[in-house]
Amino acid sequence: MTQALADVRIVDFMWVMAGPAATRMLADYGAQIVRIESTRHIDTARTLAPFWQGVPGLERSGIFQNLNAGKRMTTLDLRTPEGRAVVLDLVRWADVVTESFAPGRMKALGLDWETLRAVNPRLVMLSSCLMGQTGPRASFAGYGNLAAAISGFSNLGGWPDRPPAGPFSAYTDYVSPRFIALAILAALEERRRTGTGQLIDLSQAECSLHFLGPALLDYVVNGRVAGRVGNRDRDAVPHGVFPALGDDRWIALAVESQDHWRVLCAAMDHPALRDDPRFATPEARRRNEEALEAVVATWTATQDAHATAERLQTHGVPAYAVQNSPELLRDPQLLARGHFHRVRHPEYGETTIEGTRFILSRTPAALPGTAPTFGADNEAVLREILGYDDERITALAASGALA
Amino acid sequence: MLSPYRVLDLTNERGLLCGQLLGDLGADVVQIEPPGGSRARRLGPFVDDVPHPDRSLYWWSYTRNKRSLVLDVTKPRGRELLLGLARSAHFLIESSDPGVMAAHGLGYDDLAAVNPGLIYVSITPFGQTGPRARWADADVVLLAAGGPLILTGDADRAPVRLPIPQAYLHAAADAAVGAMVAHHERARSGRGQHVDVSAQQSVALATQSYILCEAVGHNPVQRSAGGLVNGPLRIRLLFPARDGHVAITFLFGSAIGPFSRRLMEWIHDEGGCDAATRDKNWLAYGEALFDGREPIAEFERVKLVIEEFTRTKTKAELLAAALERGLLIAPVATIDEVLASPQLDARAYWQDLPHPELGRSIRYPGAFGKFAASPIEYRRRPPLTGEHSDEILRDDLGLDDAARAALRAAGVA
Repeated sequence: MTQALADVRIVDFMWVMAGPAATRMLADYGAQIVRIESTRHIDTARTLAPFWQGVPGLERSGIFQNLNAGKRMTTLDLRTPEGRAVVLDLVRWADVVTESFAPGRMKALGLDWETLRAVNPRLVMLSSCLMGQTGPRASFAGYGNLAAAISGFSNLGGWPDRPPAGPFSAYTDYVSPRFIALAILAALEERRRTGTGQLIDLSQAECSLHFLGPALLDYVVNGRVAGRVGNRDRDAVPHGVFPALGDDRWIALAVESQDHWRVLCAAMDHPALRDDPRFATPEARRRNEEALEAVVATWTATQDAHATAERLQTHGVPAYAVQNSPELLRDPQLLARGHFHRVRHPEYGETTIEGTRFILSRTPAALPGTAPTFGADNEAVLREILGYDDERITALAASGALA
Repeated sequence: MLSPYRVLDLTNERGLLCGQLLGDLGADVVQIEPPGGSRARRLGPFVDDVPHPDRSLYWWSYTRNKRSLVLDVTKPRGRELLLGLARSAHFLIESSDPGVMAAHGLGYDDLAAVNPGLIYVSITPFGQTGPRARWADADVVLLAAGGPLILTGDADRAPVRLPIPQAYLHAAADAAVGAMVAHHERARSGRGQHVDVSAQQSVALATQSYILCEAVGHNPVQRSAGGLVNGPLRIRLLFPARDGHVAITFLFGSAIGPFSRRLMEWIHDEGGCDAATRDKNWLAYGEALFDGREPIAEFERVKLVIEEFTRTKTKAELLAAALERGLLIAPVATIDEVLASPQLDARAYWQDLPHPELGRSIRYPGAFGKFAASPIEYRRRPPLTGEHSDEILRDDLGLDDAARAALRAAGVA
């Protein structure tokens, strides 16, 4: 069976998190990806935890592995004329070029859209950056934690009586990969029908704002500026995250109906609570939400998070233990879905990456090997893809371009 | 880009974004709603805080560029009409619990029998398969199950989610990618397939790969107000400003270290720290902390130096300095500040769509990407309940006035 994207060739200058996460999605379905990286300008993701056995090292980053599995890589110093010539040869081979440098960087390297399109008129190119390629803040480079802040996410996460406390880390780096992958596939579809490639300017902030749609419209329409509300919900009550037995153990639950409320009262072994006038109706529970949360928390604090979630779920109440990495790795549902995928690694034998996040029934992902290590694929890329001979490869190496 | 294609969208609030993305890309998206309207129309906030199916801002956020057809597909006649539409459709998206569509004779196999080229996308809480596939869901529950929740919030309080539900947006956006991967393959094979999306797995992406700690032998990390605690190291990413807060990427290494060095230079220039603090080796600072050459207490002190400094500046001053000096600082924007962003303005991001029935235009978040040759267009405001029922039943299914009236009388349309 041929992989869904087996005929898609990508030269990938993406680095750090969002961009590589996007091309990893395409790699899972067979896209042929050649990653470009220089040992003189290493990918920041290599310096990010989690690390193999907890010890930092350029080939030890678990996130680098996870986001780059299934790609090949050639090391190239883009500042050398020889390195740039190799890039142009790869662009002739490719359908798509992706990059996520600060705006202007590709032009400074002599690898801007006009130049690349001149060598490959059918090219699709996607540039991804924080704020977009144009505008007064185009030069504003940075990471997803900054885009999450400037796009309004950060201010909404946390408690009304505290400074902002969320979302976690570089949140928009984990929103934008889908938009990047979708944009590439849409442009390829357009090219298939019209023969025309194009340049896509994808701003992480702009695509991510779609995840705040209701809050943006609430301001536009009603003039309301959303604020932090902890874990309270517009509709469900009680709703949130309650302490469970153990250190930093919690259970998330949502009472969305009177049925759910009856189940919860029964589980708490507190049937009288059901008809307590303070809590008998959603409106009453909303009025007495603080007291309600205290009652629920007092009970959950003595309970095992997993057992309680199972018990509530048996009766249809949405609940789950708030899982950290050790529990996630044993989660029966994630395991059944093949979410964790063991791959061979040249330096430490075997490691684990995540599988695909969706399953295609007829052309499933062929899960990849590990992410490329520095230099390991240079031969394959230069010889097999570009057809360079020994002499040319030796000369390239001698020029320092393969660093 | 997708103008030749038709999408039948049977999703509720779990999946609306998927069809909207395909619609933004040009597809003809028919949102199929039960009589009375989608339950997503009951989700607030509402226009003027008046609950009404045509005033839900949740609905408005995720149904642009769609047409609405009211059809009860759980009734035999409704099912028959859906199959009629499916014969010439290219995508079908649904978000019912696993097994529900099949129970109505509308599972993937049923649809593939009438149209083998159809791409059938299912968006569910935990996927179609597995021991917990039928567990009940809520946004906070999926974030708990998939990993990001434990990492989010203050260290001394319960993990906390964003007040705008996120889990199904991750899933629906993944679903759009899955649909297009299958579509790319269909262009070669002519055959459709089933795309099975699990929201639990989709949200796991937002753990920044910390979901893998246990598997790779790294101690699990803990939440710390948007930053994280990694062993003895407390990474802080949010700081106070005089008029709010800012995000700062205060990290180290060859790529980020130079930014941190420039930040410390600025603080020193303004008398906020001594030369020794400024002159630490910020590129190798992480290693120094890791192997103990630099005491953790010293790192804690430096973060307080930064805090004392940023507290004296406004968000605008900090952003201006970031642009001028090349620093990794961004204002923590409130929603009104997002709408007033000069950057989004300069890029003509916001799109105004007329809502004639309200006598006004509404400003929407704009194109998710700027496509130079085939720009995204906002062709239709979110549809009223059943707004396009008549035209679809008439033009696509050939039902005359009497037949349509009969359907309505029977509660099918």
